[in-house]
Amino acid sequence: MSLGGFSFRPVPALVLAAGILFGLFAGCVHASGVLRVLAWPGYADEEVVRSFERVSGARVELSIVDSDESLWQKVSANGGRDFDVMAVNTAELQRYIATGLVQPVDPARIAGTRRQLPRFRQLNEIPGLVHVRKGRAEAYAIPYTYSTMGLIYDRRQFAAAPTSISSLWDPRYRGRVLAYGGGAHSFSLAAQSLGVASPFRLQGGEWAQAVDRLIELRRNVLGFYTRPEESVRLFLRHRSALMFANYGLQQLHMLRAAGADVGYVIPREGALAWLDCWAITRGARDVALAHAWIDHLLGDTASGLLVRRQGLANTLVESDAGGPADHIVWLAEVEDAARRERLWGRIHSGDRATRVLAP
Amino acid sequence: MKMGIAVRLGLALAIVGVLAAGLTGYYGYAESRAMLVAAAEERLLTSTRVLVRQLAVGLENTARDVRLIAGHPQAVRLLRRDDPALQAGSEKNAALLFQRMLETHPEYFQMRLIDAADHGVERIRVDRDADEVVRVEEGELQEKGHYPYVFETLRLPPGAVFISRAGINHEVGAHAGQDKPSLQVAAPVRETPDGPALGLVVINVDLNGLFAQLAADLPAGQQLYLANGDGDFLIHPDPYQAFAFDRGQLARVQDQFPAAEPLLAEGAAASGQLVTTSRPAGQEAVVAAFMRQHFTTLHSEDDFILGLSQPLAAVVEQSERLGAATLRIVLGFSALAVLLAFLLARALTRPLNQIVEAVRGFVPGAAGQRLPSRRRDEIGVLARTIEDMQQQIRAQFDSLEDKQRALDRLASHDSLTGLPNRRLFLDRLDQALAHARRNNGQLALLFIDLDNFKTINDSLGHAAGDAVLCAAAVRLQQLVRASDTVARLGGDEFIILLDGADDPEAIAQIAGKALDALAQPVMHMGEALLSGGSIGVSRYPYDATGATELIAVADKAMYRAKSGGRQRACFADLA
Repeated sequence: MSLGGFSFRPVPALVLAAGILFGLFAGCVHASGVLRVLAWPGYADEEVVRSFERVSGARVELSIVDSDESLWQKVSANGGRDFDVMAVNTAELQRYIATGLVQPVDPARIAGTRRQLPRFRQLNEIPGLVHVRKGRAEAYAIPYTYSTMGLIYDRRQFAAAPTSISSLWDPRYRGRVLAYGGGAHSFSLAAQSLGVASPFRLQGGEWAQAVDRLIELRRNVLGFYTRPEESVRLFLRHRSALMFANYGLQQLHMLRAAGADVGYVIPREGALAWLDCWAITRGARDVALAHAWIDHLLGDTASGLLVRRQGLANTLVESDAGGPADHIVWLAEVEDAARRERLWGRIHSGDRATRVLAP
Repeated sequence: MKMGIAVRLGLALAIVGVLAAGLTGYYGYAESRAMLVAAAEERLLTSTRVLVRQLAVGLENTARDVRLIAGHPQAVRLLRRDDPALQAGSEKNAALLFQRMLETHPEYFQMRLIDAADHGVERIRVDRDADEVVRVEEGELQEKGHYPYVFETLRLPPGAVFISRAGINHEVGAHAGQDKPSLQVAAPVRETPDGPALGLVVINVDLNGLFAQLAADLPAGQQLYLANGDGDFLIHPDPYQAFAFDRGQLARVQDQFPAAEPLLAEGAAASGQLVTTSRPAGQEAVVAAFMRQHFTTLHSEDDFILGLSQPLAAVVEQSERLGAATLRIVLGFSALAVLLAFLLARALTRPLNQIVEAVRGFVPGAAGQRLPSRRRDEIGVLARTIEDMQQQIRAQFDSLEDKQRALDRLASHDSLTGLPNRRLFLDRLDQALAHARRNNGQLALLFIDLDNFKTINDSLGHAAGDAVLCAAAVRLQQLVRASDTVARLGGDEFIILLDGADDPEAIAQIAGKALDALAQPVMHMGEALLSGGSIGVSRYPYDATGATELIAVADKAMYRAKSGGRQRACFADLA
């Protein structure tokens, strides 16, 4: 037996040392070197992250969230110090601003914003993005992706595409309409059909009108769905004519994939839409790097992937189911979410108006 | 370390033995473990089938109840409102019937008669409340037309029964059933088999109650899983995983048991079964069996996937014991293999070592070490060859020794008389002197010269002279002790060393005897040859102490004896 196989080889050690040194210097390109990102599935794919790392020299730590609640828990856990930049919708953004978990974003430092569609450049037109602090208006997030809640209709059952959400109430389609079984959106929809000034701010007698309107809707629909797959199943099985598309283009694509001849319209009252934006946390280590990240995500690669892979819309080009004239109503905080849910629960359960409005 | 053939051979044999034992043991263990797991999987699958059957029987019983009531003429009359006078009474009777049903079926939450008209308004509704069964008042009845159990049931063919997806019942006012896992079983009410559905009878089944019945008879350690056709858990050992979809979360069979994927794949057979061994995240490995069930006789909105799992550790417990036993056997056989390898290696190398020792210790003169020459194998042949070689060497050595001895004798003895020559004599004298010096001993030299020798030699020839010399040598030798030395110095001169002689009288007596012996005639070729001799005596330590001086002194004394008239002996100290 021989121990001749063991010998000291200096080469790997040298390579290792060189690697460590290189790593140290490479990390110096950006002061902090690490960007901690909170995003939703599909928002920042592998190649997007890699290309940002290549360009910036920083390393990206990507955490994926799948619900508003888990996003809130992660960010609020340590006063916003655990992450640098996050994707959040405009309605949710408000509580982060109120609790000081995010800091203003400077659109001037993000070249990519100049390539965005006009409706996304006028930040003060989007509710909740711009807040006035000490006499200065400051933006708190940059729009990234959105989804409208338009109407999906069966082309064979409509001679002309519906133009108004009131079609949902049209007795001609009774039993062939599908609506979404969520309280907040249902009341907003009812408010829109009633022509209320702000669909997110019901006042006084508007509540009773909205309840009546929703009971009418209940009596006109086939049913209410909660999940996109469920909506597609019902739509196909019962040859529905019209559907309020809470999941927007996702449902349109699923129906088309299943062979349905369906169209998508933004009603003239305006389509409710959620808008996800990038915001920078209060505890961000490197604000410049966070701005660079947002700029990178507004590039063609990242924003293009949103459309190609996720079926979402980006802020650079109009989606194939929309146009510049589309009336989009960005979701905002509602006046009383709990009340909307409580009343909706009763409406959905089949109560009559008097019982719905009972205390 | 340099390994001997014994170590290498032993090691090789031991490795082969241990490997053979180990591999046999390992494969035996693995095979039996696989068989145990397979048997456990089969058992689990059978249990799963039994549970699925139970579930089907439970749902079919409920379906029968629903069908029975839906087919009752009273139900049709109630929905048609034929006789307003009797309406109230009929409703009361129907409500009582519903109440009885709920009281006898603790797994029912709710039983209703729903009108197809008026947006699916409830006509009669009996709910289970905390501890009683209540009839819901007229004003509290709700419109249910937009629920699948209504719009789907109204479209069913005659005699069919609808079973809804399992879900959490969020219908407000559902008493005990509100926000509880439930399932609706419904049947349409028709006046004639081909007529339109006037309404429906629906029973809300308490899934927790139904599942508790399913799980009640499970052996300890087995866990029950139930999922809907999409894989969403309805029953899970961890309650937070059940109905997670209702909270907007995902907890699905295929995520925790990836092997169950085929049951959920697009276009999967309506009924299928499979068994898998997997390790759900954060848990022990389990053996699990899953079965997808579609209730063909009922119009079920969704399939069920029922599963049972058992910790793998419990399944393979027996095989662990078997493994331990196998390990002991393997270790035993390995030890035996090592021992056998050792013995075998020794049996082979011992004769080789014996040969090596024999060759190494071979001394020609000595009897060599024994060789394993009686063996009948190659080692025996080798040993015999070496033995032959040793014998040859020994024989050659013996003859060499004989020649050496002869040469030695030639060098130290006189060839004519066979007496020690001057060289050997001087050796012995030196030794005797050295001995005498150490022990304060004494010795004497008798220097003898034959008389008339030259005359005899010259007149009668060398042969006669030689005969005289030989006779003198024989006679002188007979006179002395074995310890004394008689030597021929050369020509007609002899010398006798008397070791230890100290008495002059005795010395003189010996000298006298020598003179007498030499005076006797020697017979040669029929002639008596007369010789005689003269003797000079020197004594140590009286006359000299060195060998040369002692001889010289004796020589001198001999000349005195010769010149004094021959045939006499003279002592040196008497000069």
